[in-house]
Amino acid sequence: MSTLRSRLTPHLLLAPATICLVVFVAAPLVIVLVLAFFNLNLVTGTSSFVGLANFTTEIPHPEFARALRNTLLYAVFTIGPSMVGGLLVALLIHGLRRGQGFWRSLYFLPVATTLVAMSAVWRWMFRADTGVVDTVLGPLLGIHDWLSDPNLALAAITVVGNWHQIGLVAILYLAALGTLPQDQYDSAALDGAGGWNRFWHVTWPALGPTTIFVFIMTAGSALQAYDVIAAMTQGGPLGSTETLTFAIWNRGVHYFDIGRAAVLSLALLVLSVAVTAIQRTGYARRLESGGTR
Amino acid sequence: MKLLGQLTRHLLLALGGVYMLAPIVLMLASAFTPTADILAGNYLARPTLDNFVEVARTVPLGTYYLNSVLVALATFALQLVVCVPAAYAMARLRYRGRTITVWLLGLLILIPFQVLAIPIYLIFRQVGLINTLPALILPFVGSAFAIFLLRQFFLALPGSMFDAATLDGAGTVATLLQIVIPASRPALLSLGVFTVTSAWNAYFWPSFVLSDDSAATIPFGVVRFINSDAVTAYGPQMAMATLSVLPLLLAFLFAQRQFIRGLALTGQAG
Repeated sequence: MSTLRSRLTPHLLLAPATICLVVFVAAPLVIVLVLAFFNLNLVTGTSSFVGLANFTTEIPHPEFARALRNTLLYAVFTIGPSMVGGLLVALLIHGLRRGQGFWRSLYFLPVATTLVAMSAVWRWMFRADTGVVDTVLGPLLGIHDWLSDPNLALAAITVVGNWHQIGLVAILYLAALGTLPQDQYDSAALDGAGGWNRFWHVTWPALGPTTIFVFIMTAGSALQAYDVIAAMTQGGPLGSTETLTFAIWNRGVHYFDIGRAAVLSLALLVLSVAVTAIQRTGYARRLESGGTR
Repeated sequence: MKLLGQLTRHLLLALGGVYMLAPIVLMLASAFTPTADILAGNYLARPTLDNFVEVARTVPLGTYYLNSVLVALATFALQLVVCVPAAYAMARLRYRGRTITVWLLGLLILIPFQVLAIPIYLIFRQVGLINTLPALILPFVGSAFAIFLLRQFFLALPGSMFDAATLDGAGTVATLLQIVIPASRPALLSLGVFTVTSAWNAYFWPSFVLSDDSAATIPFGVVRFINSDAVTAYGPQMAMATLSVLPLLLAFLFAQRQFIRGLALTGQAG
């Protein structure tokens, strides 16, 4: 009896989590795959098998290419600046003799805010002519009314995306900088290595694992970008800020085109898996091992 | 020379700090300034609470707050009940297929929730959960990430702790409640910060399953408000945004270390 009970115990402990994960992860994953091959009418509740029709409608469609392009551009202009900016902030703070805590908190403040609410604030700041961005930066940059310009709206979105995550990147780099072995710096200094050399040959390789981690994180949040777009542009103007994740909502919930929304979901899945696969590639693996070039 | 370097660092950080602080400061200042003064650029010339009164007059603020608090707390509480036992079993107990379950867990973490939103939305429509609180809570109770995180932590706990409990004849539930949970307070606290803030800030999933105010949380209310109100009423809009942001900002200022540790988990959550 008692052996039976002890053999059952692990399964009893696992049961609630297993049920949740099957219902809300595994089953939906299968359903989204199936949905991509069906035409589902939410109004009448009928569905019909359409084979690859959803794929052949969605993938060659200019809107799909546009969503991919927007997602990629958003990724490039948030991953790069956030990583460089975050690392820079971390290096600046790390070298301070006093005030480290103050600056760390200040830069982390945006991370602790509700992104969708702050996007509403940013939308107001980007407002044409009377907004802070136009009145302060307008004369300097010579551009204004970002959010109504199909060429600038995505740039405005990335300004907010970077604003929200630079502090998080900085915190992660700061934590890594705090664990660097001091003796390597001492020997580098003995060799007469200057600031840049010390950074490039000692600090940067040692930060490798953090760099990979930060890349995966920022790439993931770029693929999932939604809140800023929903609050600031609704994908407009002329679809210039409609990214993949926003397009899933737009096709599925707004236009009730479930089949095409399912195809978009699968595209998002493929891209997400691809990002994690990068972790396994050459340069990434060398960075991860913190080794030498 | 050394002093100059330090000064330069502070200066550069202050420059970037303007970017970080500008929206927060402008929001707070505008929230307490009449809309006419905001348009004229006279922030806080005549400080007022009118904007908040206006918000409270036009939207069911109490419902929003209550829903947000209920969703955040229920998600975390249920997550504990579901994920702690599973993580404990996967870390400390022996059973057939353990390797496979751990491997599967690692696979599930890689799937972004956004990929699953459409099918879960359809299921919830089918069973009538649209515009209800459970719709906002249920998908996040069984979190592969939470199980993974807790398992890592349980693995690092000293084995002698569990041996002693077994010798004392403590049952599984007693071991969980009296040994595992007290010893894991740092991990549970980080997970709590992470889960509660994610639930509080969530807008993606609410925009799928909410269409009216009955189960609306604050972020949903904010977007509804800024899209419905007259475009020029910036004062109330900033007051509404403040109401969403302020509780977390205050919590952050009072418990910075726990907050940073909890939110730093974001990167691992996939």
